[in-house]
Amino acid sequence: MKLFLTGAAAVALAAGNVPEGAQAAELGAVDEPIRLAINEWTGQHVSTHVGGSMLEAAGYRVEYVTAGYMNMYQAIADGEIHAALEIWSSNVSDDYGRKLEAGGVVELGDLELEAREGIAYPSHVAEICPGLPAWEALADCASRFATAETLPMGRLVDYPADWGTPGADRMTGLALPFRAVPAGSEGALIAELRASTERESPLLIVFWQPHWAMSAYDVRFVDLPVGEDACFEDPAWGPNPDAVNDCDFAPSRIFKAAWSGMREKWPAAFEILSNYTLSVEDQQPMMGAVDVDGGSVEEVVASWMAANGDKWRPVVDAALN
Amino acid sequence: MIPGRSPAVPAALAALLAGALCLTLESVAPWLARFPANWTLPATDWAGTFLEWLLLGLKPAARWFSWLLGYPMLWANAALGQTPWPLMIGTATAIGWYLGGLPMAALGLGGLGFVLLSGYWVESMNTLALVAVSVPLALAVGGVIGVAANEFPRIKSSVQAALDVMQTVPTFAYLTPLLLLFGFGPVVGMIASAIYAAPPMARNVILGLERVDPEVREAAVMSGGTRIQQLLLVEIPSAARQIMVGVNQCLMAALSMVIIAAVIGGFNDIGWEVLLTMRKAQFGLALMAGLVIVVFAIVIDRMSAALAHERRRGDPRVAYGIVALSVLVVLVFQARLPDPSTLTFLDPAAERVDRALGEFTANNGEALNQFRNGAMFYVLLPLRIGLDEAALPFTWGFQWTATMSAGLFAAAAVAGACLALSGRAVSGLLLVIGSGIIETGIANLPWPFVLVATFSLAWVASGRRLAILCVALLATVLVSGLWERALLSLYLSGAAVFACAVVGGAIGLLCAVAPSIWRVVRLVCDMLQTIPLFVFLIPVLMFFQIGEFSAFLAICAYAIVPMIRYTRHGLVMTPPELLEAAVASGATPWQIMRDVRAPYAAPTVLLGLNQTILYAFAMLVIAALIGTTGLGQSIYLALGSADVGLGVSAGAAMAILALICDRLVQAFAEGRRTALGL
Repeated sequence: MKLFLTGAAAVALAAGNVPEGAQAAELGAVDEPIRLAINEWTGQHVSTHVGGSMLEAAGYRVEYVTAGYMNMYQAIADGEIHAALEIWSSNVSDDYGRKLEAGGVVELGDLELEAREGIAYPSHVAEICPGLPAWEALADCASRFATAETLPMGRLVDYPADWGTPGADRMTGLALPFRAVPAGSEGALIAELRASTERESPLLIVFWQPHWAMSAYDVRFVDLPVGEDACFEDPAWGPNPDAVNDCDFAPSRIFKAAWSGMREKWPAAFEILSNYTLSVEDQQPMMGAVDVDGGSVEEVVASWMAANGDKWRPVVDAALN
Repeated sequence: MIPGRSPAVPAALAALLAGALCLTLESVAPWLARFPANWTLPATDWAGTFLEWLLLGLKPAARWFSWLLGYPMLWANAALGQTPWPLMIGTATAIGWYLGGLPMAALGLGGLGFVLLSGYWVESMNTLALVAVSVPLALAVGGVIGVAANEFPRIKSSVQAALDVMQTVPTFAYLTPLLLLFGFGPVVGMIASAIYAAPPMARNVILGLERVDPEVREAAVMSGGTRIQQLLLVEIPSAARQIMVGVNQCLMAALSMVIIAAVIGGFNDIGWEVLLTMRKAQFGLALMAGLVIVVFAIVIDRMSAALAHERRRGDPRVAYGIVALSVLVVLVFQARLPDPSTLTFLDPAAERVDRALGEFTANNGEALNQFRNGAMFYVLLPLRIGLDEAALPFTWGFQWTATMSAGLFAAAAVAGACLALSGRAVSGLLLVIGSGIIETGIANLPWPFVLVATFSLAWVASGRRLAILCVALLATVLVSGLWERALLSLYLSGAAVFACAVVGGAIGLLCAVAPSIWRVVRLVCDMLQTIPLFVFLIPVLMFFQIGEFSAFLAICAYAIVPMIRYTRHGLVMTPPELLEAAVASGATPWQIMRDVRAPYAAPTVLLGLNQTILYAFAMLVIAALIGTTGLGQSIYLALGSADVGLGVSAGAAMAILALICDRLVQAFAEGRRTALGL
């Protein structure tokens, strides 16, 4: 009978509607470790370790495996990594879509980490371009942001080319005299922020939060017209009647994904990870404790888990009982 | 080459004619300036489809191989990871003592001591495990290829070409296919580094076996050995020294590739630490993690070099004593040995380096900006888009006009004619061609001109075969639709190679004259060559921000090394008889340098230039992390989106550019060597 119930739960999940009060599921192969992907940034380490600790509390063995964020989907589809717990829709690899379609990877729902992306600047830039954070101010002080490559336009440091070109799209949409220069990597973005802060030189950059650099370099967002669907489809919408993209970024979704065989092999773990969520208010202090205060991810997460049992315990219990 | 029959004049004339025709007809026939998009073939897609089909077929075998390799990997990891650190340090010191006495022992102790103090011990042992498996693999593959090429001379030239391809296609380009084939994990990084590290071994085996004394060979034949016996018992042992050079080079190449394994992940190694710190732009920590790799490289390099030179060995009893002592330390302090990953002795130093970098950037911001702007406005931009687009009121203070172009061409033509009349027709023609290139810019060069010029150059350098090969290769890039990106790559690496040739040549000359300078420069060269290239990117970005100038500097930092080494080597190696003869005939030191040493060193310097070109292309992919356009960026994009076709095509285009440059330079070097009678 219980077997039948598990099967029913799996069918419900396959239909894509994860019920709020999750059903009890079998533990499955507890003696085999569940491998979680560790990507290149601290926030992801925190999210993954919290999820992993929940699995351990449920009685699983967890292994953390380092994996390149952009090219880990082959490994997930092959079942060599079993889940990735923080994937940003704003810069997900094309490979994810292909593997999702081919059926090797399944989505585990939102992490509900509220992310914000936008055109940003370190706080000292407000003195160079008075009128910020209002976006209209940028039109007049574009020349202060100009460099050798972009003259006579201002320079906007955009995301690395493989994450798309949201900065360039905004500048065209809002008809601002800025040329977007793609960074090559996240390291390049941080180096720009750091150099600008230390030199007090002008900088306009596409950035996101939660990110440790937001507070480390006191980064502020430019106020753009709030984005809604019409902005990206209807040129007439927004301050520029002739173009789309004349608004702020659409909120980006942060979600989880797993190997498609996980549901069969570790049903309860699949439940737990599907229902696992983490908020910015919880993640950001942990990131700070690691990146700024130099704590280890394991210790920081362990003490958070001990202090916040009420936030995660119900998810684990719901899956087990 | 006899001047009267030199093909240089007609060749240069042909190139000039092609360029002039393109420039004048540009307005009527726009397809001359830009290769029409609808003439290109979807080669990238074809390559992708074909490769995916092929990879799917090979996958089961590859997965099996990967599973097989997992075992030695696991063992190496367990052996290195479980051994207590005092025993590892003791063993390294003991080996050092046995190989080279006190200095080597000190090197082993100091090197591994640094690794321990850095707090990266665990990660380092993982890296070492990776190298410990990939190097034997590379040695075996390289050795077999080398012996096969020696046994069957007919395949030798195709083997050489294959080795070139293995070394010039950027590793990032084939990471995606490897990932598909071998699955996730350190095995992919290991295979990638084995592919890159095998060619030096193969080349040295071929060279060593070629150089076996014919008399030795005959002796082996006469004593009635079978072919296998001759090979194993006589030829390979007598080529041992050259083969050991190959082993050494193979080790170094494998070590320089460990960072690649980290991009895939699956392994908590030192390369992953470099990537993490690079992502946070923490220069101090990145440098420290990078230095760990440098330390390994230097320890392994010096020790394997000592192994290759069969000099007096240290007393083995002392070596055993050192090992015994470290076992004793482990036994006595067992419980009280600190966990190596908690050691942070060097962190304050790393922080200081980081702070110093920040302060330097803050204090010299204006000067750094001016330096960059100068280089961009007056050198890089004109090279890329030509004077006609780079000279603008806010860069040069005036607008470039058609009249100025005409004036420039007229002046170049007059100067060229003067040179031609004074008997230097080739220089005159080259001057006119050069002015045309500066006016149009490398990225805007008309494609027919590039094809004709390459054909002419290859013809002069070697002859018809090379000329046809070069043009055929270029044509594949042209029709594959990667031409514009290829020209951008050519421009960036070309500018870097030129700067490296001038600056590196000068430093090499200085080092040849003053050995005390060489001692310092040599250390810097060692570090630049083995530290993961990612580490350089942070300070370059802090100083000069995202852009071409930063990419240019990053490429130069890496590609300048061979130029310095080879220039110095060539100048120092002049035979003493020649120098004595020059001194006896009353030449001044300057005359000796100019008329004796420099011409004698020319082939070696050209070889250095060749290596500089290959290094510059190799670095283009890393420079894409700064934010460049061109083939490097394509390769990176392909890696991110797991696009097999684009990655492999862009990698192939990069290899084609590198190969053409390599063949041209080698052909010219060969000509010089023949002229000198070497």
